[in-house]
Parts: sequence; C-alpha cells; structure tokens
Amino acid sequence: MTVLSRRGFFLTCGGCALAASAGPLLPRRALAGATPRAFPARFWKKLEGKRIECGLCPKRCKVEDRERGFCGVRENRDGEYLTLVWGQPCAVHVDPIEKKPFFHFRPGSQAFSIATAGCNLECKCCQNWDISQAKPEDVDFSYMPPDEVVRGAKQYDACVTFTYSEPIVFLEYCIDTAKAARKAGVRSTMVTGGSGEAEPMKEALKYLDGIKVDLKGFTEDYYQRMCKGKLEPVKKTLEVIAKSGVWLELVHLCVPGQNDGEPEIRSMCRWVKEHLGRDVPLHFTRFHPEYQMKNVPPTPNATLIRCREIGHAEGLRFVYTGNVPGLAGEDTSCPSCGKVVVARRGFELEGMHVKNGRCEYCGYTMPGVWS
Amino acid sequence: MGLGALAAGGCGSSCAGSRARPTAQTTIVAPKTEAARVAPPVGKPRVVVVRTCKALTSGYDADRGALRAMLEAGLLALSGEKDAVRALGRYVRASERVGMKINGLAARNAATHVELVDELSALLAKLGVEPRRQIAFDRFKRDLIASKFALAPRGDGYQCIGNDEAGHEDELAQMPSSASRLSRVLTRQVDGVINLPILKQHSLSGMTGALKNNFGCIHNPNKMHLDNCDPYIAEVNAIPAIRDKQRLVVMDALRPVVENGPSYQPGSAEVANALLFATDPVAVDTVALGILEDLRKQRNLPPLDQVDMRPTYLSTASKLGLGVSDRNGIEVVSLEV
Repeated sequence: MTVLSRRGFFLTCGGCALAASAGPLLPRRALAGATPRAFPARFWKKLEGKRIECGLCPKRCKVEDRERGFCGVRENRDGEYLTLVWGQPCAVHVDPIEKKPFFHFRPGSQAFSIATAGCNLECKCCQNWDISQAKPEDVDFSYMPPDEVVRGAKQYDACVTFTYSEPIVFLEYCIDTAKAARKAGVRSTMVTGGSGEAEPMKEALKYLDGIKVDLKGFTEDYYQRMCKGKLEPVKKTLEVIAKSGVWLELVHLCVPGQNDGEPEIRSMCRWVKEHLGRDVPLHFTRFHPEYQMKNVPPTPNATLIRCREIGHAEGLRFVYTGNVPGLAGEDTSCPSCGKVVVARRGFELEGMHVKNGRCEYCGYTMPGVWS
Repeated sequence: MGLGALAAGGCGSSCAGSRARPTAQTTIVAPKTEAARVAPPVGKPRVVVVRTCKALTSGYDADRGALRAMLEAGLLALSGEKDAVRALGRYVRASERVGMKINGLAARNAATHVELVDELSALLAKLGVEPRRQIAFDRFKRDLIASKFALAPRGDGYQCIGNDEAGHEDELAQMPSSASRLSRVLTRQVDGVINLPILKQHSLSGMTGALKNNFGCIHNPNKMHLDNCDPYIAEVNAIPAIRDKQRLVVMDALRPVVENGPSYQPGSAEVANALLFATDPVAVDTVALGILEDLRKQRNLPPLDQVDMRPTYLSTASKLGLGVSDRNGIEVVSLEV
C-alpha cells in the first residue's frame, strides 16, 4: 500500500491502480504525528550565532535555532540546516502525464508522481493545501529513497514527476532522485511554482527532462496578495529554464476576478513569447473553489476560451484550455499544416499523429519530447 | 490569603521588598467593599506587574516559593479578590478542563518556567480542577521535553501534550490573510486556556508575548512570519476558539531574552524577576514591550522600531477589538513581593 495523504488518494485515478498492484514497492509507512527523519540540507549559509539563511528560494528565510523556514520542512538544529522530507513522500501516485499537465512531453505516458509536505508559497486557491500547507508531522508519510522511486517508475514505464505540493522545498530529494533516474534511463519532470533561487534551480535542471511552471498571475500584487510570493523571481526562474533547454510548459490558473483580466493575460502572453519563445505551451485552466477561496465560483468557460484567443493573437503557437474536459482547446494542432496531431479529451488521448517528433501529415518538427 | 501574608511566603525578611507594596507609579488594588472586589474598574484593562528580588535561584532555575507568592499576589491584584483560589476562580471554573499554553520553543533557557506552571497547577487543584483536567501544551512534544516538562503525568501531575501528538483539526479556521488548522488540544481537550508566554525579543515580530504565543495553537505558524508577523498575529488571536477560550495571561518575564531572539544564546537574556497578569492580551503585551525596551536600553541597544522590529501587530490587534494597545489606556499595577 502506498502512502497517500488523506484526501490525496482521490487526486488521481491512477492511485487506485498503484495501491492495488504495487506490492513490491511497499514503503514503510508513518502516520501523521510521527517524527520525520532529518537529513542535511543543501543551499544555505551560516549567519551569526546559530542563525542560518536558507538559499533555496527568494524568501531567503533567516532561521533561528530550533525553528523552521516558511516552507515548514527545513529546520535549524544547533546551527545546522536539515531537511525533514528527504525520501519521505506523503503522496505517491501514478498519473497520466496529461494531468500535470504536460501536452508535449511523451503524450499518453504515465507519471510516477511523488510529493512531500510543504510549500514556499501559500496560494489562497491551492487545490492540495492539505499537504502543501502542512508540516511533515501533519501528514502520513513513507520512507522511499531515490532508488525505490526509480524502481516504481520503471515498473510503470513512467517518468518520475515531482508534483502536488512544491518540489523546490524538497529539492535535495528531487535532485538525488532525478540523478538516480537518469542513471537508470528513466526521465524526470517537475511541476513547480517556479519560486526558486537560480543556483539550486540550475543544479536541478541538470537532471530534469521537463518542467511545468505555474505562472500564477502576472502582477506583483497578485503574487503578494494571493500567494505570499513575488512574481519577479518566477520570471527569472522561467528564463533560467528556457536557457537550459529543459522542456518547459506553463499553466495559468484563471481565478475569476483576480488574475483573468484581459490586460494582464495579454501582457503575460507577450512576455512569454518574448522571453521564453512562441513554442512554449501555455495552459489556461479552470479554477475550482478550494482552501481560502471556497466562496468564488469556478472559472467560466468563456474566460478560458477568451484567454486562449488572446494567447494565439499574441503569437503563441500552443495555447490550451484545461480542467474542462470536452471544451475546445485540448488538442494540439500542427503549426505548419493546421491539422490536429494530438487529439485529447481530458487526460485521455483520442488520436496521436506525431511520429518521431514530426507531424504525420506534413513532416513538421513538433516542439516537445515525443519519445 | 491577603497581600501581607503573600510577602512572607515569598522573599522573606532578608529582602528589602519583602512586603507586597506599591511602587511609585502604582495604582493600588485595595478593594474595600464587596462590590469593588467583584468587579475590577470598568474601562481601562488592568495589567499587574509583580516583581521580586529572588525569583531565580541559579541560572534559569526558579524558586517555587517565590513564584507562588508572585502568582498569588498577581491574581489578587488583578481580580480584586482577597483569596488566591477565589481569584483564580474568577477566570476558570472548578468543573472545567484547563489548558496552559506554554512557550517551550527555545528550550529550558528561554521557555516558560516549569516551576511557574507547577505552582499554577497546584493552585488550580486547590480550586477543584484536578490535575487530570489540566493540560500544559505547545507545538512539539520535543519542546516540552527540552523545557523540562514531563510528558507522562507525574503521579497526580498535570498532563503535557505536544500538538504534534494530539494533531490538528481537519477543518480550516479562515482568516482574512491566511487559514489554519487548530490544535485539537485547544478545540477538544480544554474548556478554557491560561496563556503562559515568555517575554522575548523576536527578530521578525519584534517581540514574543501573549499574542504571539498563540501561534502555538495553529498548525502553520511558519506561514505567519512575513511583514513583521502583521497582521497574522492579530488575525490568529481573533479566531473565535482562541479568543474566546483564553481567560487569563500570566507572562513569564523572569529572565526575558532581550537581544538576538527569539532563540536563546548565552548572554541574550536579562534578569527582570517579573510576572505580568492580565485578561487583555494586547494590554499585557503593550506593557511587556515597555519592559523589554527598558531592558534593551540598559544594554545600550536601540529601540525596536529603529531596527525594523516594531511590533506593529499590537495596534492591528487593537483594531480587531482584541484589546488595548495605547499605553495611556491601560491601568498598570506594580507590586513587589
């Protein structure tokens, strides 16, 4: 039995299959309230006394002895910084890769998805708040070192995906797992808010094959008011990723009345095209009332459709809608001949006409990772 | 027990301040009529500052007799009662389960004194709150251990529980700026809470006192330290379960951390030999801030607002109706025992 967060088990249909069949993978399980193991953290420096400064993300928390940073999963013990989540995921599932969503990364494949507790943001609309806003002790977790994760991914012919909460806060675990995965011929992907410092992100990018970044808004006000974060560091991270050559896709969750204004969407699309390139897929996804925003209705379909139109009008070539199965905007069309080369409905593939990375109809080389 | 009797139980005759007596700025609490004893003055919240010269024996260890005297004197002055047990009965009922929210984060050298909690527990028992209905709690059981609180009840002793053991509610308490899951000790295991913070300078919020101590009632205080913890401290204290269950504050200012806080470092604490009593958490923090600033001044340290550590959350808490942050609007009673 894999260890799942209380609500997390239902996050995926793949989870049931894994739970039923992953006998050999059985990790040792610890219930909420158990004390997590502590491992040396990287990316930090000592300050005066026993104080330390975390260098993992732009918050650069200055952490007192016996205290933790904003993420809640890294702790100062007697002047040494430790991670309390290395090798201790609280959610383990096998998902369709489209759920991340990755639309240009091995469509139709599986993602062996893991998450630990913790996040370096606090988004008012977080869908996974029960693990992202938790400390390690607040959730059930298991001991699953990198080689065990890789073994699980191979069993499902899946890539490893660090997701659900915020992989940046368990970056040491991500890096070590992605290293082990590469050695074993397994690919690794990350789903992140992108609020990380350049040095650790560059270290992770050496071993990653794909990244999906939530570009949550395009104003500092939105990031500060809604996420307890900042936009500028995310933009810097995106530029670092774009330069690295690692496959990048973007998601913008459209929260009604908060980040779905036409000027903001247009400005975001322009920036993406100018700084990241016109071939970076951009997914406009539907918001569902959660966490601190249960009183806000879901995003109207018309908003998603309009955002997609703006993306296209600004010159982006792969703009999608998401979280609304059946709504126009899930298919991938060839920019050259205009034909649908990947047909989708929700997370299901209904047609695949990209072969060896090329459009089957006209031979155009499709941006992405296709094999 | 009257005020005079308390003095004998405290410092004894060798101490110059051996009699509970007012200092120069004192407003004396000397109820002469039954009505006066029942109702403290309406209007200004009262904060009682009790000092002694011998609260600490060596290092961080405290003298239980001295603390008992301070505790009783403080309760009498705060309530207007003539008897310490009856005074405590003004804030908790004999039939209730009582939580004692301590602060053990910085371990023994800068935690709420276990001797103080032991004495409070004994007084609660005299009131009729058996030790099994008394719970000292904080965020982590390891902090309780490090602060010398015994996790397993000692004989007829009170319980000590970490929120990591008891867990937090699944339902979120919503605030304008955040959301939190509340400690199950707070929500399920106690009817009323006596808040027992320790006074410390804090590098982010400016100071740790009664209001900030309630970060130990939620699951995610790590999310609440941005912007000098403002408005987070105030909003957490406005959560109904926290606001309504808190009956009394007894602040441990025997040896506050005055610099490089909130963790303890050698030389960062200063002996103040004081306990503060109040029902208004904003008022007691406001008075405590004055004590902290005085101690810092003695060390030639700058005022907190000059080093970007002004506890702005006090005025925010006041705006939320949690208490009074204007020093002129607070009645301060100073006693020595």
